[in-house]
Amino acid sequence: MSTNAITLKNVKYSYSQSEDAPALNGVSLSVEKGEFVAVLGHNGSGKSTLARLINGLLTADEGEITVLGLNVSDKKNIAEVRRRAGIVFQNPDNQMVASIVEDDVAFGPENVGVEREEIGRRINWALKSVGMEEFKNSTPSRLSGGQKQRVAIAGVLAIKPDIIILDESTAMLDPKGRAEVISVVKKLNEEEGITVLLITHFMEEALFADRAIVLNKGEVVLQGTPEEIFKNGDALETYNLALPKITEIENGLREAGLTVSNALNYQTLARDIADNLKGKTWGNCKNTPQYNQGGEWDVDISNLTFTYSAKSPFATHALNGVDLKIKEGEFFGVIGHTGSGKSTLIQHLNALIKLPQAQKKYKAKKVKKGQTPPTMPQITVGNYNLSNKKCDFKSLRADVGMVFQYPEYQLFAETVFEDVAFGLKNFFPKMGEEEVITAVKESLEMVGLNYEEIKDKSPFDLSGGQKRRVAIAGVIVTKPKILVLDEPAAGLDPLGKKEIMELLHKLHKTWCKTVVIVSHDMDEIADNCTSCAVISNGKIVFADTPEKVFANGEKLIELGLDIPLAAKLLIELKKYGVEIDCNLSCKGFTKSVINAYKGGGNNA
Amino acid sequence: MLNDVAFGQYYPVNSAVHRLDPRTKLIWLIAYIVALFLANNFYSLAVCALLLVVAIAASKLPFASVLRSIKGILFILLFTAVLNLLFYGGETVLVEWNFIKISVEGIIFTVFLAFRLTFLVMGSTILTLTTTPVSLTDGIESLLTPLKFIKFPVHELALIMSIALRFIPTLIDETNRIISAQKARGADFESGNILKRVKAVVPILIPLLISAFRRAEELGDAMDARCYSNAKNRTKYKKLTFKLGDLVAVILVAALIAGVVLLNIYGANIIPEIYNYIKIS
Repeated sequence: MSTNAITLKNVKYSYSQSEDAPALNGVSLSVEKGEFVAVLGHNGSGKSTLARLINGLLTADEGEITVLGLNVSDKKNIAEVRRRAGIVFQNPDNQMVASIVEDDVAFGPENVGVEREEIGRRINWALKSVGMEEFKNSTPSRLSGGQKQRVAIAGVLAIKPDIIILDESTAMLDPKGRAEVISVVKKLNEEEGITVLLITHFMEEALFADRAIVLNKGEVVLQGTPEEIFKNGDALETYNLALPKITEIENGLREAGLTVSNALNYQTLARDIADNLKGKTWGNCKNTPQYNQGGEWDVDISNLTFTYSAKSPFATHALNGVDLKIKEGEFFGVIGHTGSGKSTLIQHLNALIKLPQAQKKYKAKKVKKGQTPPTMPQITVGNYNLSNKKCDFKSLRADVGMVFQYPEYQLFAETVFEDVAFGLKNFFPKMGEEEVITAVKESLEMVGLNYEEIKDKSPFDLSGGQKRRVAIAGVIVTKPKILVLDEPAAGLDPLGKKEIMELLHKLHKTWCKTVVIVSHDMDEIADNCTSCAVISNGKIVFADTPEKVFANGEKLIELGLDIPLAAKLLIELKKYGVEIDCNLSCKGFTKSVINAYKGGGNNA
Repeated sequence: MLNDVAFGQYYPVNSAVHRLDPRTKLIWLIAYIVALFLANNFYSLAVCALLLVVAIAASKLPFASVLRSIKGILFILLFTAVLNLLFYGGETVLVEWNFIKISVEGIIFTVFLAFRLTFLVMGSTILTLTTTPVSLTDGIESLLTPLKFIKFPVHELALIMSIALRFIPTLIDETNRIISAQKARGADFESGNILKRVKAVVPILIPLLISAFRRAEELGDAMDARCYSNAKNRTKYKKLTFKLGDLVAVILVAALIAGVVLLNIYGANIIPEIYNYIKIS
């Protein structure tokens, strides 16, 4: 028997016979037993097709695939291949069959006919290996994304496979969930000797692998250790992949003449920077933050409290006395983990959740003499007073656009044109045909799509990235003054992320005065926002410029939140007596360090 | 909007009834329904009522929560009662007008039927309040196992039920999200005539359906990848065990049927003078 876990020889595969480029175009690669290999590639590079071919969910058009010596194209082998090479898929919700964790983990072993007592032992072992033993009797809908994916891994582990394939299993998770999954997989690889094939578009995750393979347009374009791969920064960019942030900073510093090693952890980088700055004196590095003066479209929230299922045993406080001001002109970030109340908060901004006083049934309670009336929550958005029953909620919603997470899942119309026009026709039923066409055209062009090409297509025939753009076009078609987006970049590859952020900045400069984004990604906040607020347990913990908020690094980590890479580096640099005050985006940090190195002040 | 849907209405307390094997509870319910339909006089019906009270007490359920279940069938209850009252026929006629006839027998029958229906619904409610949907599915699967011999797809049916249960909360969340998203785009689900409202549902239903199909496809792949096939050597991890409490429950319900049958036969002898007024013919 060969020592290879997976071997592909010149494998080709196309989804359709049409002239489209094949999904895989002659891929040859091999993975040794016990190896941890990362397969990197942007959306549409063919990396998911690879996973499905290895597991026999798809059959190759040409070429040969062997898994642990078994030929996958032989139908007789498929059952055995699936037993020995398990897959964990992308969407944590769509791979669980049972309503109880334990039963779900049992599903695989039941299928292959394992004895009852042995299944029990395997469930305990598998759940323990992924650190989920205490959730044995929980129901999946109560778990976080990262926890669900760990259960899915346990479900695969319980079949006792030799190989685990993670098919973009981290793409839909927040950074915390991603870290959980990656550390579990790393542990299984090291302690149980399981061969791991990690398919991902997050370059940071490749750092944990022994070897990385880069796919582009269905072909293997790069192979090597993660360090070797990351040296090819320019090449990676042409394959629509982004370097890890840390490598980006290192490259920037190196170009400016600093000597930094190729380390992939921030502690080493901080030490290197401190060495470079030794003996240098740098001028006043104080940054003067620019405060926004505000204007006509300020948002003012005070004393906002909200309880789900009030007066029932299942009552949960989502918001508990929130005071928050968002000034006109800001690019505002809302930070908080799942369940912190941030979704509830933003749904108040366009009265999807109405304040109690604004609801039809509301009657003010009589206040006895000598008692002070309870303070009611108040929200004003520009000239709209949301606590007033008579507030024009319809035009409020046209002025405050709201883009939900994965907005592409709300597309419904037969053509792109109709879908984008939906909001317009709801808000302005009397608008003339010509005006509607102009508005839809402008909106689609704003999100970077070609109006003539796309207007008559079905939204369901578009690619993932295009769908998201159409969905955003459907919201901004009313040219809202304030645009609120819940995790706008969720699930996108690095290029897609970058493009969406560029689009938001473009909107911020043109149509929308204020942009509010909800995000778990601290670097995204640091790179883009002028101000941000941290929400935890229904309360605002910090609200200020990213620099001031992330200066509370320890407190944020205590709350289970991460901090941007630049903030980590600054904290580490302080240990060496280097204090640089800078913008916390990667570019800002690099620029400030270079300025300090050259002996000038910094004004990033 | 849909947050208040409490599916299966499972009431989580730890009681003797909650701990019973789901199969016992299913058999118990079937036997109880049989007893209700066998009963032909109020003595028998009283025995059925007694057992219901015992069951509620043993299950530690608040009596009100069991009683509340009648709300759902109140309309049917009243409707059948009125029909029976007016059209039953009978000999001891009290009021007669055209083809409407109210008789003593009619009144007795109406009251009897109302009790029978109420008990039936309350009995079923005890089952759903004390049994999680998951163990109910296990119970049904186990009870249907003999049907495998006539090639009835028992396991597949159970799996379908289990997957449906698993996805209900997910789809409710998804529906809520889509409703909010379309509302944010100015959709109005609350005003307008019926036609308008039905039309307003389209932007919710289509995304929901598409997402359900996508989920089904992905789930299918995930099940394939986890070695699901219709092979015969499939094992089952969950095992239902029959305990002492189950025996007690079965004896009780057997005693109930015996009691009902005996009272049906000998009821007339207890107080013969009133028997005509407490039986149905």
